Amino acid sequence: MYYKPSKNYWRNAVSVSKPLIVLVGPDITEAEKTVREAISQRKTLLVIGNCWVRYQGRARSKLEPGERILIIKEDGSLLVHRSVGYEPVNWQPPGCVFHVQVKNSVLEIRGVRRKPAESVKVFFDRIHMVSALSLVDSGEFALYASEEDMQKAILLKPSLLEEDFKLISYEKKVEPGFVDVYGEDKNGKLVVVEIKRKTAGKEAVLQLVKYVEAIKSKVNREVRGILVAPNIAKDVQRLLVTLGLEFKALDPKKCAEILRKSETRNLETFFTEKNQ
Amino acid sequence: MFKLKVADAKLLRDMATAISILVDEATFKIDPENLKLRAMDPSRVAMVDFEWPKTVFEEYTCTKPTKMCINISELLKLLKRAGKNEVVELSLDEKTGRLQVKITGRYTRNFTMPTLEASEEDVPTPKITFNVKAKATTEGLHQAIEDAQLVSDHVRIQVDTEKLVFHAAGDLMGATIELQKGSDALLDLEAREPSKATFSLGYLSEIIKAASATSDIATLEFSTDMPIKLDFQQTKEGKLTFYLAPRIETE
Repeated sequence: MYYKPSKNYWRNAVSVSKPLIVLVGPDITEAEKTVREAISQRKTLLVIGNCWVRYQGRARSKLEPGERILIIKEDGSLLVHRSVGYEPVNWQPPGCVFHVQVKNSVLEIRGVRRKPAESVKVFFDRIHMVSALSLVDSGEFALYASEEDMQKAILLKPSLLEEDFKLISYEKKVEPGFVDVYGEDKNGKLVVVEIKRKTAGKEAVLQLVKYVEAIKSKVNREVRGILVAPNIAKDVQRLLVTLGLEFKALDPKKCAEILRKSETRNLETFFTEKNQ
Repeated sequence: MFKLKVADAKLLRDMATAISILVDEATFKIDPENLKLRAMDPSRVAMVDFEWPKTVFEEYTCTKPTKMCINISELLKLLKRAGKNEVVELSLDEKTGRLQVKITGRYTRNFTMPTLEASEEDVPTPKITFNVKAKATTEGLHQAIEDAQLVSDHVRIQVDTEKLVFHAAGDLMGATIELQKGSDALLDLEAREPSKATFSLGYLSEIIKAASATSDIATLEFSTDMPIKLDFQQTKEGKLTFYLAPRIETE
Protein backbone atom coordinates (compact mmCIF):
# COMPACT_ATOMS: atom_id res chain seq x y z
CA MET A 1 0.00 0.00 0.00
CA TYR A 2 1.20 3.53 -0.74
CA TYR A 3 0.76 6.29 1.81
CA LYS A 4 0.72 9.79 0.52
CA PRO A 5 2.65 11.89 3.04
CA SER A 6 0.52 14.54 4.63
CA LYS A 7 1.62 18.15 4.60
CA ASN A 8 2.72 17.96 8.19
CA TYR A 9 4.80 14.95 7.53
CA TRP A 10 7.77 16.81 6.19
CA ARG A 11 7.66 19.39 8.91
CA ASN A 12 8.04 16.65 11.51
CA ALA A 13 10.52 14.68 9.56
CA VAL A 14 14.03 14.09 10.80
CA SER A 15 15.90 16.02 8.16
CA VAL A 16 14.02 19.28 8.59
CA SER A 17 13.09 20.02 12.17
CA LYS A 18 15.55 17.92 14.12
CA PRO A 19 19.10 17.41 13.04
CA LEU A 20 20.30 14.00 12.16
CA ILE A 21 23.77 13.49 13.52
CA VAL A 22 26.13 11.09 11.86
CA LEU A 23 29.77 10.73 12.81
CA VAL A 24 31.83 8.53 10.59
CA GLY A 25 35.00 7.09 12.11
CA PRO A 26 34.99 9.42 15.15
CA ASP A 27 37.64 9.19 17.83
CA ILE A 28 36.49 7.92 21.22
CA THR A 29 36.11 11.36 22.88
CA GLU A 30 34.10 12.74 19.96
CA ALA A 31 31.87 9.67 20.07
CA GLU A 32 31.44 9.95 23.83
CA LYS A 33 30.13 13.51 23.54
CA THR A 34 27.54 12.57 20.92
CA VAL A 35 26.48 9.43 22.79
CA ARG A 36 26.07 11.39 26.03
CA GLU A 37 23.98 14.08 24.34
CA ALA A 38 21.84 11.61 22.45
CA ILE A 39 21.04 9.69 25.64
CA SER A 40 20.24 12.80 27.67
CA GLN A 41 18.00 14.12 24.89
CA ARG A 42 16.33 10.73 24.59
CA LYS A 43 17.19 10.25 20.96
CA THR A 44 17.49 6.99 19.16
CA LEU A 45 21.17 6.17 19.14
CA LEU A 46 23.17 3.94 16.87
CA VAL A 47 26.80 3.03 17.57
CA ILE A 48 28.66 0.73 15.23
CA GLY A 49 32.13 -0.49 16.04
CA ASN A 50 34.36 -2.99 17.75
CA CYS A 51 32.93 -3.82 21.14
CA TRP A 52 32.64 -6.36 23.95
CA VAL A 53 29.75 -6.84 26.33
CA ARG A 54 29.27 -7.95 29.93
CA TYR A 55 25.87 -8.73 31.35
CA GLN A 56 25.14 -9.33 34.99
CA GLY A 57 21.76 -9.80 36.61
CA ARG A 58 19.43 -12.74 36.43
CA ALA A 59 22.31 -14.57 34.78
CA ARG A 60 25.78 -13.66 33.63
CA SER A 61 27.04 -13.42 30.09
CA LYS A 62 30.16 -12.31 28.36
CA LEU A 63 30.50 -11.42 24.71
CA GLU A 64 34.02 -11.33 23.33
CA PRO A 65 35.19 -8.39 21.16
CA GLY A 66 33.78 -8.08 17.66
CA GLU A 67 32.15 -5.58 15.32
CA ARG A 68 28.56 -4.95 16.22
CA ILE A 69 25.66 -2.55 16.15
CA LEU A 70 24.47 -1.03 19.42
CA ILE A 71 21.02 0.52 19.43
CA ILE A 72 19.68 2.58 22.31
CA LYS A 73 16.10 3.65 21.81
CA GLU A 74 14.36 6.72 23.16
CA ASP A 75 12.45 4.65 25.73
CA GLY A 76 15.72 3.46 27.25
CA SER A 77 15.84 0.00 25.73
CA LEU A 78 19.15 -1.35 24.56
CA LEU A 79 20.02 -3.86 21.85
CA VAL A 80 23.32 -5.25 20.67
CA HIS A 81 23.10 -6.81 17.22
CA ARG A 82 25.71 -8.95 15.56
CA SER A 83 26.09 -9.09 11.81
CA VAL A 84 23.94 -12.22 11.68
CA GLY A 85 20.67 -13.36 13.21
CA TYR A 86 17.46 -11.42 13.69
CA GLU A 87 17.62 -11.39 17.46
CA PRO A 88 19.94 -9.18 19.45
CA VAL A 89 22.72 -10.98 21.28
CA ASN A 90 22.34 -8.74 24.34
CA TRP A 91 19.39 -6.59 25.23
CA GLN A 92 17.67 -4.67 27.98
CA PRO A 93 13.99 -3.74 28.10
CA PRO A 94 12.78 -0.11 28.17
CA GLY A 95 13.51 2.03 31.20
CA CYS A 96 17.24 1.60 31.58
CA VAL A 97 19.40 4.28 33.10
CA PHE A 98 22.59 4.85 31.16
CA HIS A 99 26.07 5.84 32.27
CA VAL A 100 28.69 6.84 29.75
CA GLN A 101 32.40 7.13 30.45
CA VAL A 102 35.78 6.88 28.77
CA LYS A 103 38.59 4.95 30.43
CA ASN A 104 41.93 4.23 28.75
CA SER A 105 40.49 5.25 25.35
CA VAL A 106 37.64 2.80 25.72
CA LEU A 107 34.08 4.08 25.59
CA GLU A 108 31.90 2.34 28.15
CA ILE A 109 28.13 2.53 27.90
CA ARG A 110 26.34 0.96 30.82
CA GLY A 111 22.59 0.30 30.93
CA VAL A 112 21.24 -0.41 34.41
CA ARG A 113 17.88 -1.66 35.61
CA ARG A 114 16.91 -1.64 39.27
CA LYS A 115 14.28 -4.32 39.37
CA PRO A 116 15.40 -6.92 38.64
CA ALA A 117 18.88 -5.60 39.33
CA GLU A 118 20.81 -6.10 36.13
CA SER A 119 23.29 -4.25 34.04
CA VAL A 120 24.75 -4.46 30.58
CA LYS A 121 28.12 -2.88 29.89
CA VAL A 122 29.17 -2.30 26.30
CA PHE A 123 32.83 -1.35 25.69
CA PHE A 124 33.94 0.19 22.38
CA ASP A 125 37.59 0.57 21.46
CA ARG A 126 37.06 1.43 17.78
CA ILE A 127 34.03 3.19 16.40
CA HIS A 128 33.00 3.18 12.76
CA MET A 129 29.89 5.26 13.08
CA VAL A 130 27.70 7.03 15.60
CA SER A 131 24.29 8.32 14.72
CA ALA A 132 21.71 10.11 16.83
CA LEU A 133 18.19 10.38 15.44
CA SER A 134 14.88 11.81 16.54
CA LEU A 135 12.38 9.61 14.85
CA VAL A 136 8.69 10.32 14.53
CA ASP A 137 6.63 7.18 14.56
CA SER A 138 2.98 7.16 15.54
CA GLY A 139 1.78 4.55 13.08
CA GLU A 140 -0.11 1.63 14.52
CA PHE A 141 1.15 -1.90 14.23
CA ALA A 142 -1.55 -4.28 13.17
CA LEU A 143 -0.91 -7.86 14.13
CA TYR A 144 -2.86 -10.55 12.41
CA ALA A 145 -2.86 -13.91 14.02
CA SER A 146 -1.53 -17.02 12.36
CA GLU A 147 -3.42 -20.29 12.32
CA GLU A 148 -1.27 -21.34 15.27
CA ASP A 149 -2.27 -18.22 17.19
CA MET A 150 -5.92 -19.00 16.55
CA GLN A 151 -5.32 -22.47 17.93
CA LYS A 152 -3.50 -21.08 20.97
CA ALA A 153 -6.33 -18.64 21.64
CA ILE A 154 -8.86 -21.49 21.61
CA LEU A 155 -6.66 -23.53 23.94
CA LEU A 156 -6.44 -20.58 26.27
CA LYS A 157 -10.11 -19.76 26.08
CA PRO A 158 -12.13 -22.75 24.91
CA SER A 159 -15.37 -20.77 25.23
CA LEU A 160 -14.38 -18.99 21.99
CA LEU A 161 -15.66 -22.12 20.31
CA GLU A 162 -18.79 -22.54 22.39
CA GLU A 163 -19.90 -22.43 26.02
CA ASP A 164 -18.69 -25.28 28.21
CA PHE A 165 -16.41 -26.69 25.57
CA LYS A 166 -13.82 -28.85 27.30
CA LEU A 167 -10.40 -29.45 25.80
CA ILE A 168 -8.99 -32.92 25.52
CA SER A 169 -5.94 -32.36 23.38
CA TYR A 170 -4.57 -30.59 20.36
CA GLU A 171 -2.45 -31.63 17.39
CA LYS A 172 -3.98 -35.00 18.05
CA LYS A 173 -2.63 -37.62 15.69
CA VAL A 174 -5.28 -39.47 13.73
CA GLU A 175 -4.81 -41.60 10.66
CA PRO A 176 -4.88 -38.92 7.94
CA GLY A 177 -3.04 -36.20 9.91
CA PHE A 178 -3.34 -34.01 12.99
CA VAL A 179 -6.49 -32.62 14.55
CA ASP A 180 -6.02 -28.94 15.44
CA VAL A 181 -8.17 -29.02 18.56
CA TYR A 182 -9.98 -31.96 20.08
CA GLY A 183 -12.47 -31.79 22.91
CA GLU A 184 -15.85 -32.52 24.34
CA ASP A 185 -19.03 -30.43 24.30
CA LYS A 186 -21.40 -29.94 27.19
CA ASN A 187 -23.48 -32.92 26.08
CA GLY A 188 -20.51 -35.25 26.16
CA LYS A 189 -20.13 -35.38 22.38
CA LEU A 190 -16.59 -35.39 21.06
CA VAL A 191 -15.63 -32.38 18.99
CA VAL A 192 -13.04 -32.26 16.21
CA VAL A 193 -11.96 -28.75 15.24
CA GLU A 194 -10.19 -27.70 12.07
CA ILE A 195 -8.87 -24.14 11.99
CA LYS A 196 -8.32 -22.01 8.89
CA ARG A 197 -6.91 -18.52 8.94
CA LYS A 198 -8.59 -17.45 5.74
CA THR A 199 -11.96 -18.10 4.14
CA ALA A 200 -12.59 -21.80 4.54
CA GLY A 201 -12.55 -23.66 1.24
CA LYS A 202 -13.66 -27.06 0.09
CA GLU A 203 -10.35 -28.74 1.02
CA ALA A 204 -10.78 -27.69 4.64
CA VAL A 205 -14.19 -29.33 4.75
CA LEU A 206 -12.89 -32.54 3.20
CA GLN A 207 -9.98 -32.57 5.63
CA LEU A 208 -12.33 -32.14 8.57
CA VAL A 209 -14.68 -34.89 7.39
CA LYS A 210 -11.72 -37.30 7.21
CA TYR A 211 -10.72 -36.50 10.78
CA VAL A 212 -14.28 -36.89 12.03
CA GLU A 213 -14.59 -40.27 10.30
CA ALA A 214 -11.23 -41.37 11.74
CA ILE A 215 -12.30 -40.50 15.28
CA LYS A 216 -15.76 -42.03 14.81
CA SER A 217 -14.18 -45.36 13.89
CA LYS A 218 -12.46 -45.48 17.28
CA VAL A 219 -15.10 -44.37 19.74
CA ASN A 220 -18.69 -45.22 20.35
CA ARG A 221 -19.74 -41.66 21.00
CA GLU A 222 -21.19 -39.01 18.78
CA VAL A 223 -18.55 -36.91 17.07
CA ARG A 224 -19.08 -33.35 15.87
CA GLY A 225 -16.85 -31.60 13.38
CA ILE A 226 -16.43 -27.84 13.57
CA LEU A 227 -14.67 -25.76 10.97
CA VAL A 228 -13.27 -22.57 12.46
CA ALA A 229 -12.37 -19.71 10.11
CA PRO A 230 -13.03 -15.99 9.68
CA ASN A 231 -15.69 -16.84 7.10
CA ILE A 232 -16.82 -19.47 4.64
CA ALA A 233 -17.79 -19.49 0.97
CA LYS A 234 -21.51 -20.07 0.30
CA ASP A 235 -21.15 -23.24 -1.75
CA VAL A 236 -18.69 -24.61 0.79
CA GLN A 237 -21.22 -23.93 3.54
CA ARG A 238 -23.73 -26.13 1.65
CA LEU A 239 -21.19 -28.93 1.39
CA LEU A 240 -20.44 -28.59 5.08
CA VAL A 241 -24.10 -28.91 6.05
CA THR A 242 -24.60 -31.88 3.71
CA LEU A 243 -21.75 -33.66 5.45
CA GLY A 244 -23.25 -32.93 8.87
CA LEU A 245 -20.47 -30.59 9.93
CA GLU A 246 -20.63 -27.15 11.52
CA PHE A 247 -19.03 -23.77 10.98
CA LYS A 248 -17.89 -21.32 13.63
CA ALA A 249 -16.77 -17.85 12.60
CA LEU A 250 -13.67 -16.69 14.45
CA ASP A 251 -11.74 -13.54 13.71
CA PRO A 252 -7.94 -13.97 13.77
CA LYS A 253 -7.57 -10.42 15.08
CA LYS A 254 -9.72 -11.29 18.08
CA CYS A 255 -7.46 -14.28 18.70
CA ALA A 256 -4.38 -12.09 18.59
CA GLU A 257 -5.99 -9.81 21.14
CA ILE A 258 -6.80 -12.68 23.48
CA LEU A 259 -3.23 -13.89 23.29
CA ARG A 260 -1.97 -10.40 24.04
CA LYS A 261 -4.26 -10.02 27.02
CA SER A 262 -3.61 -13.45 28.41
CA GLU A 263 -2.78 -13.26 32.07
CA THR A 264 -1.67 -16.76 32.75
CA ARG A 265 1.76 -17.69 31.61
CA ASN A 266 2.68 -20.82 29.83
CA LEU A 267 4.60 -23.46 31.73
CA GLU A 268 6.75 -24.12 28.67
CA THR A 269 8.39 -20.72 29.20
CA PHE A 270 10.13 -22.25 32.18
CA PHE A 271 11.50 -25.38 30.55
CA THR A 272 14.68 -23.64 29.53
CA GLU A 273 16.72 -21.44 31.76
CA LYS A 274 16.49 -17.85 30.74
CA ASN A 275 19.85 -16.37 29.92
CA GLN A 276 18.77 -12.81 30.08
CA MET B 1 3.13 -58.00 28.75
CA PHE B 2 1.78 -55.56 31.28
CA LYS B 3 -0.36 -56.41 34.27
CA LEU B 4 -0.95 -54.90 37.69
CA LYS B 5 -3.05 -55.58 40.74
CA VAL B 6 -4.03 -53.31 43.61
CA ALA B 7 -5.68 -54.60 46.76
CA ASP B 8 -7.68 -51.44 47.31
CA ALA B 9 -9.51 -49.89 44.38
CA LYS B 10 -9.47 -46.52 46.15
CA LEU B 11 -5.71 -46.17 45.63
CA LEU B 12 -6.04 -46.46 41.87
CA ARG B 13 -9.17 -44.35 41.76
CA ASP B 14 -7.60 -41.48 43.70
CA MET B 15 -4.54 -41.56 41.48
CA ALA B 16 -6.63 -41.52 38.31
CA THR B 17 -8.71 -38.66 39.71
CA ALA B 18 -5.60 -36.59 40.42
CA ILE B 19 -4.30 -37.12 36.89
CA SER B 20 -7.69 -36.45 35.32
CA ILE B 21 -7.55 -32.90 36.72
CA LEU B 22 -5.10 -32.00 33.96
CA VAL B 23 -5.30 -34.64 31.27
CA ASP B 24 -8.06 -36.54 29.62
CA GLU B 25 -5.99 -38.79 27.43
CA ALA B 26 -3.17 -40.03 29.60
CA THR B 27 -0.05 -41.67 28.23
CA PHE B 28 1.59 -43.87 30.84
CA LYS B 29 5.18 -44.96 30.49
CA ILE B 30 5.47 -48.48 31.74
CA ASP B 31 8.73 -50.22 32.46
CA PRO B 32 9.65 -53.25 34.58
CA GLU B 33 10.21 -51.07 37.66
CA ASN B 34 7.79 -48.16 37.47
CA LEU B 35 4.54 -46.80 36.18
CA LYS B 36 5.05 -43.18 35.17
CA LEU B 37 3.20 -40.30 33.63
CA ARG B 38 4.27 -36.78 32.92
CA ALA B 39 1.91 -34.51 31.04
CA MET B 40 0.74 -30.95 30.63
CA ASP B 41 -2.86 -29.84 30.46
CA PRO B 42 -4.08 -28.71 27.02
CA SER B 43 -3.68 -25.03 27.96
CA ARG B 44 -0.04 -25.69 28.87
CA VAL B 45 -0.44 -23.97 32.20
CA ALA B 46 -0.02 -26.92 34.51
CA MET B 47 1.86 -30.17 34.53
CA VAL B 48 1.58 -33.43 36.44
CA ASP B 49 4.52 -35.68 37.19
CA PHE B 50 3.47 -39.03 38.54
CA GLU B 51 5.47 -42.12 39.36
CA TRP B 52 4.65 -45.31 41.20
CA PRO B 53 7.29 -47.98 41.72
CA LYS B 54 6.16 -51.56 41.36
CA THR B 55 6.28 -51.98 45.14
CA VAL B 56 3.09 -49.94 45.42
CA PHE B 57 1.19 -52.73 43.75
CA GLU B 58 0.18 -56.12 45.04
CA GLU B 59 1.38 -57.54 41.77
CA TYR B 60 3.17 -55.82 38.91
CA THR B 61 4.47 -57.40 35.74
CA CYS B 62 6.00 -55.60 32.81
CA THR B 63 8.24 -57.62 30.52
CA LYS B 64 9.31 -54.81 28.25
CA PRO B 65 9.03 -51.00 28.45
CA THR B 66 5.96 -49.71 26.67
CA LYS B 67 3.58 -46.77 26.48
CA MET B 68 -0.12 -46.95 27.10
CA CYS B 69 -2.56 -44.17 26.40
CA ILE B 70 -6.03 -44.36 27.88
CA ASN B 71 -8.95 -42.06 28.31
CA ILE B 72 -8.63 -41.44 32.00
CA SER B 73 -12.20 -40.28 32.58
CA GLU B 74 -13.49 -43.46 30.95
CA LEU B 75 -11.23 -45.49 33.25
CA LEU B 76 -12.49 -43.48 36.21
CA LYS B 77 -16.08 -44.36 35.37
CA LEU B 78 -15.14 -48.02 35.68
CA LEU B 79 -13.07 -47.54 38.84
CA LYS B 80 -15.92 -45.66 40.49
CA ARG B 81 -17.93 -48.85 40.29
CA ALA B 82 -15.41 -50.54 42.58
CA GLY B 83 -16.02 -50.33 46.31
CA LYS B 84 -13.41 -49.76 48.96
CA ASN B 85 -11.16 -52.79 49.50
CA GLU B 86 -12.22 -54.35 46.24
CA VAL B 87 -9.33 -55.69 44.19
CA VAL B 88 -8.58 -54.15 40.80
CA GLU B 89 -6.48 -55.76 38.12
CA LEU B 90 -5.42 -54.01 34.94
CA SER B 91 -3.93 -55.94 32.07
CA LEU B 92 -3.02 -54.82 28.61
CA ASP B 93 -3.77 -57.10 25.69
CA GLU B 94 -1.05 -56.05 23.31
CA LYS B 95 -2.58 -57.86 20.34
CA THR B 96 -5.93 -56.13 20.46
CA GLY B 97 -4.63 -52.96 22.15
CA ARG B 98 -7.37 -53.21 24.75
CA LEU B 99 -7.07 -52.73 28.46
CA GLN B 100 -8.83 -55.19 30.68
CA VAL B 101 -10.13 -53.88 33.99
CA LYS B 102 -11.10 -56.61 36.41
CA ILE B 103 -12.77 -55.70 39.67
CA THR B 104 -13.14 -58.41 42.27
CA GLY B 105 -15.16 -58.04 45.44
CA ARG B 106 -18.37 -59.73 46.30
CA TYR B 107 -18.59 -60.59 42.62
CA THR B 108 -16.32 -60.27 39.64
CA ARG B 109 -16.59 -57.71 36.88
CA ASN B 110 -14.54 -57.67 33.71
CA PHE B 111 -14.45 -54.53 31.61
CA THR B 112 -12.45 -53.86 28.51
CA MET B 113 -11.61 -50.47 27.11
CA PRO B 114 -9.62 -49.33 24.08
CA THR B 115 -6.16 -47.83 24.35
CA LEU B 116 -5.40 -44.75 22.28
CA GLU B 117 -2.51 -43.50 20.21
CA ALA B 118 0.25 -42.79 22.75
CA SER B 119 1.58 -39.25 22.85
CA GLU B 120 5.14 -38.91 21.59
CA GLU B 121 5.71 -35.77 23.57
CA ASP B 122 8.44 -35.83 26.20
CA VAL B 123 7.60 -33.21 28.77
CA PRO B 124 10.71 -31.83 30.45
CA THR B 125 10.89 -30.61 34.04
CA PRO B 126 10.71 -26.83 34.41
CA LYS B 127 14.10 -25.40 35.35
CA ILE B 128 13.47 -23.16 38.30
CA THR B 129 15.50 -22.06 41.28
CA PHE B 130 13.07 -22.12 44.16
CA ASN B 131 13.56 -19.64 46.98
CA VAL B 132 10.74 -20.90 49.14
CA LYS B 133 10.02 -24.34 50.46
CA ALA B 134 6.96 -24.83 52.63
CA LYS B 135 5.62 -28.02 54.09
CA ALA B 136 1.93 -27.89 54.82
CA THR B 137 -0.91 -30.25 55.49
CA THR B 138 -3.05 -30.80 52.42
CA GLU B 139 -6.05 -30.15 54.64
CA GLY B 140 -4.68 -26.74 55.64
CA LEU B 141 -3.94 -25.84 52.04
CA HIS B 142 -7.33 -27.02 50.94
CA GLN B 143 -9.04 -24.79 53.51
CA ALA B 144 -6.90 -21.76 52.60
CA ILE B 145 -7.74 -22.20 48.92
CA GLU B 146 -11.46 -22.64 49.66
CA ASP B 147 -11.38 -19.40 51.64
CA ALA B 148 -9.64 -17.53 48.87
CA GLN B 149 -12.07 -18.89 46.29
CA LEU B 150 -14.95 -17.14 48.02
CA VAL B 151 -13.69 -13.78 46.83
CA SER B 152 -11.59 -14.24 43.70
CA ASP B 153 -10.47 -16.56 40.94
CA HIS B 154 -6.78 -16.04 41.60
CA VAL B 155 -4.58 -15.87 44.66
CA ARG B 156 -1.26 -14.32 45.51
CA ILE B 157 0.93 -16.58 47.58
CA GLN B 158 3.42 -14.64 49.61
CA VAL B 159 6.12 -15.72 51.99
CA ASP B 160 8.43 -14.15 54.50
CA THR B 161 10.52 -16.01 57.06
CA GLU B 162 7.65 -16.66 59.45
CA LYS B 163 4.48 -17.16 57.50
CA LEU B 164 2.79 -18.23 54.31
CA VAL B 165 0.11 -15.79 53.23
CA PHE B 166 -2.66 -16.27 50.70
CA HIS B 167 -3.98 -13.00 49.46
CA ALA B 168 -7.05 -12.90 47.23
CA ALA B 169 -8.66 -9.79 45.86
CA GLY B 170 -11.90 -9.88 43.94
CA ASP B 171 -13.91 -7.04 42.45
CA LEU B 172 -15.72 -6.42 45.71
CA MET B 173 -14.27 -8.62 48.38
CA GLY B 174 -10.83 -9.51 49.61
CA ALA B 175 -9.29 -12.20 51.76
CA THR B 176 -6.00 -12.73 53.56
CA ILE B 177 -5.25 -16.15 54.96
CA GLU B 178 -2.13 -16.61 57.06
CA LEU B 179 -0.45 -19.86 57.93
CA GLN B 180 2.17 -19.40 60.69
CA LYS B 181 5.34 -21.41 60.62
CA GLY B 182 5.15 -24.27 63.09
CA SER B 183 1.35 -24.19 63.24
CA ASP B 184 -0.76 -27.28 62.64
CA ALA B 185 -1.25 -26.28 59.03
CA LEU B 186 2.26 -25.11 58.19
CA LEU B 187 4.77 -27.65 59.43
CA ASP B 188 7.89 -26.07 58.06
CA LEU B 189 8.96 -23.03 56.08
CA GLU B 190 12.28 -22.13 54.52
CA ALA B 191 12.53 -18.90 52.59
CA ARG B 192 15.77 -17.63 51.13
CA GLU B 193 14.11 -14.34 50.31
CA PRO B 194 10.60 -12.89 50.58
CA SER B 195 8.76 -14.16 47.50
CA LYS B 196 5.35 -13.84 45.94
CA ALA B 197 3.56 -15.14 42.92
CA THR B 198 -0.04 -15.25 41.72
CA PHE B 199 -1.86 -18.37 40.58
CA SER B 200 -5.21 -19.34 39.19
CA LEU B 201 -7.44 -20.65 41.97
CA GLY B 202 -9.31 -22.87 39.56
CA TYR B 203 -6.21 -24.94 38.92
CA LEU B 204 -4.92 -24.79 42.50
CA SER B 205 -8.14 -25.89 44.08
CA GLU B 206 -8.70 -28.79 41.71
CA ILE B 207 -5.13 -29.99 42.11
CA ILE B 208 -5.14 -29.74 45.88
CA LYS B 209 -8.59 -31.22 46.25
CA ALA B 210 -7.78 -34.24 44.14
CA ALA B 211 -4.28 -34.77 45.49
CA SER B 212 -5.46 -34.50 49.13
CA ALA B 213 -7.15 -37.86 48.68
CA THR B 214 -3.74 -39.43 48.08
CA SER B 215 -1.68 -37.42 50.53
CA ASP B 216 -1.73 -35.66 53.90
CA ILE B 217 1.36 -33.53 53.46
CA ALA B 218 2.35 -31.32 50.57
CA THR B 219 5.59 -29.49 49.90
CA LEU B 220 5.20 -26.19 48.07
CA GLU B 221 8.14 -24.63 46.31
CA PHE B 222 8.13 -21.33 44.47
CA SER B 223 9.94 -18.08 43.69
CA THR B 224 8.73 -14.65 42.76
CA ASP B 225 6.72 -14.80 39.54
CA MET B 226 7.82 -18.35 38.84
CA PRO B 227 5.81 -21.55 38.62
CA ILE B 228 4.85 -23.30 41.83
CA LYS B 229 5.76 -26.90 42.46
CA LEU B 230 3.37 -28.89 44.62
CA ASP B 231 4.72 -32.19 45.75
CA PHE B 232 2.25 -34.48 47.48
CA GLN B 233 3.89 -36.99 49.75
CA GLN B 234 2.36 -40.38 49.01
CA THR B 235 1.26 -42.72 51.77
CA LYS B 236 2.94 -45.59 50.00
CA GLU B 237 6.02 -45.03 47.90
CA GLY B 238 5.79 -43.02 44.72
CA LYS B 239 5.55 -39.46 43.58
CA LEU B 240 2.77 -37.09 42.67
CA THR B 241 3.98 -33.62 41.76
CA PHE B 242 2.24 -30.75 40.03
CA TYR B 243 3.66 -27.60 38.48
CA LEU B 244 1.52 -24.55 37.84
CA ALA B 245 2.56 -21.48 35.85
CA PRO B 246 2.03 -18.09 37.49
CA ARG B 247 -0.30 -15.38 36.33
CA ILE B 248 1.17 -12.13 35.21
CA GLU B 249 0.66 -9.44 37.83
CA THR B 250 -1.37 -6.72 36.21
CA GLU B 251 -1.37 -4.23 39.05
